[in-house]
Amino acid sequence: MSVQKIELCKTADVDEGAAIRVETGDLSLAVFNLNGAFYVMDDTCSHGPGSLSEGPIHGDVVECDFHNGSFNIKTGEVVDPPCMIPQKTYKVVVEGDAVFIEA
Amino acid sequence: MSSKSKITIANANVEFVCDDDTISRAAVRAGLGFPYECNVGECGNCRFELLEGDVAYLRENPPAITERDAQRKRYLGCQAQPKGDCTIKVPLRDHYKSKHLPRKVTGTLTQAIDVTHDIREFRFALSEPLKFLAGQYGLITAPGVAGARAYSMCNTGEDGAEWHFQIRKTPNGAATGALFDRMKTGESLQLDGPYGMAYLREDAPRDILCLGGGSGLSPMVSIARAAAASPALKDRHIHFVYGGRTPADICGEDMLRVLPGYAERIHYTPVVSMADDPASAGWTGKTGFVHDVAEALYGEALAGFEVYFAGPPMMAQAVTKMLIKAKVPAAQMHFDQFY
Repeated sequence: MSVQKIELCKTADVDEGAAIRVETGDLSLAVFNLNGAFYVMDDTCSHGPGSLSEGPIHGDVVECDFHNGSFNIKTGEVVDPPCMIPQKTYKVVVEGDAVFIEA
Repeated sequence: MSSKSKITIANANVEFVCDDDTISRAAVRAGLGFPYECNVGECGNCRFELLEGDVAYLRENPPAITERDAQRKRYLGCQAQPKGDCTIKVPLRDHYKSKHLPRKVTGTLTQAIDVTHDIREFRFALSEPLKFLAGQYGLITAPGVAGARAYSMCNTGEDGAEWHFQIRKTPNGAATGALFDRMKTGESLQLDGPYGMAYLREDAPRDILCLGGGSGLSPMVSIARAAAASPALKDRHIHFVYGGRTPADICGEDMLRVLPGYAERIHYTPVVSMADDPASAGWTGKTGFVHDVAEALYGEALAGFEVYFAGPPMMAQAVTKMLIKAKVPAAQMHFDQFY
């Protein structure tokens, strides 16, 4: 199975300690910048319609501001309920000034 | 009194009319993918941001709203009625679009049949047919009771002439009290629907697992009936696990037994949780909780099922946890959270 590389944004588009939402194809993604490293997960919370790119970030954790559940940004693991299903994360590749995922 | 307001969703550049209605229900009626789930102010999925205009709540202080929401001018769509035109912000998603657009109709009670000591099936003939997908729910406004309650239908909705609900009587519940104790055949009430995303996926090429407890009987019976009748699912097995506290709560087998393929491809497992209770004396079936029994019965095969479940909040949480552990993809789990 071939791995597809999808460009999401430029590194400068995402401030440190912040996130943006990127729509590409069928995917709606949250792109995080933690101390210059980029992480990508599905933007729509696994628990409800909350948008994780709009949630407050505390260290490695993003809180969904719909029901106050939270996820580890690097792994997608659930940190706080009511979320129970881990968030899908993507492998990120930075080339030059562009952020890609492998999907 | 009718009051029409124009609602503009600023971020999607969409307008719809809210006619004596709440904002999210009016949006779903208009065919929009406005997020929602419980429709009664409990789950918080229908939150939107009010940019311009004013709203009033149908249900005062709905449980799902927090102080932070109030500070950020966020309201619950299912409870907010516009006072004039409004501009709002909300992320529309196709997942929440209805195949059969919900409407308000009059339902006349044609039959009420006891299923167990506390579950009764109420059958309503609709003033106009309203199709629904198996597993969906309707909002019932019981006579003399403020506010609507959500109940799932147990029949299948391909013609929509009648909606049948298996409802569990809530101790001291106002709505179920009105339905169980006062509603007589021939009397009418308001039905609004269909709503809900936990409907049968006929295009899912997998065997089906229905897990139900208590009032979760109704949508699981609907799913099983529709799956048994679906040509697309004719080669699929349907596994149905239903839990109660004691044998007096156990039901559903007679509804499945009449379906074509019962015992060959439709399998029913009842489970009793209070096995040590004197009322359970003589029970020879499975004991424990529905999620534990399902895990023991199906194990690694779970990840290959399309799973539908409905029941009390504690059960739904335990089932979700078990399914995650069993590596069932989220897209194969279907339930509506009413909490």
